[in-house]
Amino acid sequence: MGRNRVAIVGAGMTKFVRRAQETAKELAWKAASKALESCELTLDDIDAVVVDTAPDAFDGIHMNAEYLSDGAGGWGKPVIRGYVGGGTGVFAAIQGWYHVASGLFDTVLVVCEEKMSSCQPHPQGAFLTIFDHTTERPLKPNLLWIFALEMNAYMSRYGLSKKDIALVAVKNKRNAADHPAALLGDPDITVEDILNTEVLAWPVQRGDVSPISDGAVALVMCAEHVARRVTDKPVWVEGVGWSLDTAYWTNRDLSYPTYVEEAARMAYKMAGITEPRKQIHIAEPYDPFDYKELHHLEGLLLFDKGKAPEATALGITQRDGDLPVCPSGGLLGVGNPIAAAGLMKVAEIFWQLRGEAGARQVPGQPKRGVAQAWGDLMQVGTVIVLGI
Amino acid sequence: MSLMYRIQHPRDALVWEGEIPLFSRYTMGIAGERFFREIMENGRLMGTRCPECDLIYVPPRLYCEQCFAHLDEWVEVPSTGQVHTYTIVHADLDGNPLEEPRILAFIHIDGTDGGLVHYLGEVDPDQVCIGMCVEAVFKDKAERKGGILDIAYFRPVG
Ligand SMILES: [Zn+2]
Repeated sequence: MGRNRVAIVGAGMTKFVRRAQETAKELAWKAASKALESCELTLDDIDAVVVDTAPDAFDGIHMNAEYLSDGAGGWGKPVIRGYVGGGTGVFAAIQGWYHVASGLFDTVLVVCEEKMSSCQPHPQGAFLTIFDHTTERPLKPNLLWIFALEMNAYMSRYGLSKKDIALVAVKNKRNAADHPAALLGDPDITVEDILNTEVLAWPVQRGDVSPISDGAVALVMCAEHVARRVTDKPVWVEGVGWSLDTAYWTNRDLSYPTYVEEAARMAYKMAGITEPRKQIHIAEPYDPFDYKELHHLEGLLLFDKGKAPEATALGITQRDGDLPVCPSGGLLGVGNPIAAAGLMKVAEIFWQLRGEAGARQVPGQPKRGVAQAWGDLMQVGTVIVLGI
Repeated sequence: MSLMYRIQHPRDALVWEGEIPLFSRYTMGIAGERFFREIMENGRLMGTRCPECDLIYVPPRLYCEQCFAHLDEWVEVPSTGQVHTYTIVHADLDGNPLEEPRILAFIHIDGTDGGLVHYLGEVDPDQVCIGMCVEAVFKDKAERKGGILDIAYFRPVG
């Protein structure tokens, strides 16, 4: 298939905060204008805009992406919105990729925004109707149920303890202490701190969960001939993949994310990756919960099933380990404004591969990284492989 | 066609009644905060100007949507304008007739590139016309709460 090569040449983000005074549009503009400044382009250079946000109910604005499109640079341009729930942030970069890879556009601005603080009494309410209206909703489920059942299935399948999993939260919150945009960075947090937080729905405790947040992230993606002109450090999109499992969560293997494996296989094939453990140097798997990082590392084929916790305990996934995982601090540390959080992961791989991650920079000059998100009805995997 | 086609009463099919129990708390934003504070505290309208595009935005914006510049040049704008278009509302959301028809207009604010949607008052529906000159009627300062309803309505001038 004739596809054009696509590079990421710029990235920008707002701070992730508990409550932003900025409107959705203003958040989007801050991230988008930073991304443009980072590669010295202006809105005139942009051919098309991808604006993604997760459920409209968070911002409380129906057709939210269309509403904030002027803040995302969409005035008078071809604009598209994508939405695959929590998987949206990485999917936005995939959309940016196919806008350019198709040859339709040379330069695309990709913007993700989320303002969860608007949503009252709690953003979880927005998720209540993802449950089946006749078989599940009469039981008054809340979203944590899915995660608690999934985490428990994962723990019991492989005989894991809460401490094995809490190590992820500790790592990511410590990593986030080096991120200037982070909401929950803490260089001194310990496993005991995580294990002592309140129980929400066993085995999920407060410390296992990423914080709801407001924020925006943007990328500039372009065709090779533009990238060569704009920068001497393009980061190439080498592979993309996405896949959906059954919409019935009662029919999934809750201890293993098959949909992530399918998405990863699609992306790896495109990238020519045959041995991901050797060929991928850095990973940003989606970590809204600490166990999900482990789950997703296994789905990404970077560790054997049930073995990601052991690797975490051995320090392999630390910033200076053999496979740095979530060097950004992830959603657990930087924050989780849903769509923006996913795109933050893509931006982190971009900064790391360019050697521009500052205090977060992993050693050893990584050449290839993978970012992944998860969402929809907790059954979509979205994956992107970047390389230099 | 499903069985529903033949059901005479909605209760003849099994149903579960649910809702999405949410409400929203919207900040006015960086530009909106100042716009509404000026109305509340000083009873005046402000806009932001893009010198590059020579545009004055009302309501004011933090950035220019056309050139993406940060806008920090605040200008006081008149509280007068012209009716760009209007409608006369006769029914409520449920389709029930209103006791008094309400006039809703898009008012282009004089000397700016923007405008506001608001009610018209102190005028009969059959007197309203496109191009009519109107002015904002601010509520008494004590009644202003910070919001678009701090303007009671627009009324004809002259
Ligand atoms: Zn301008």
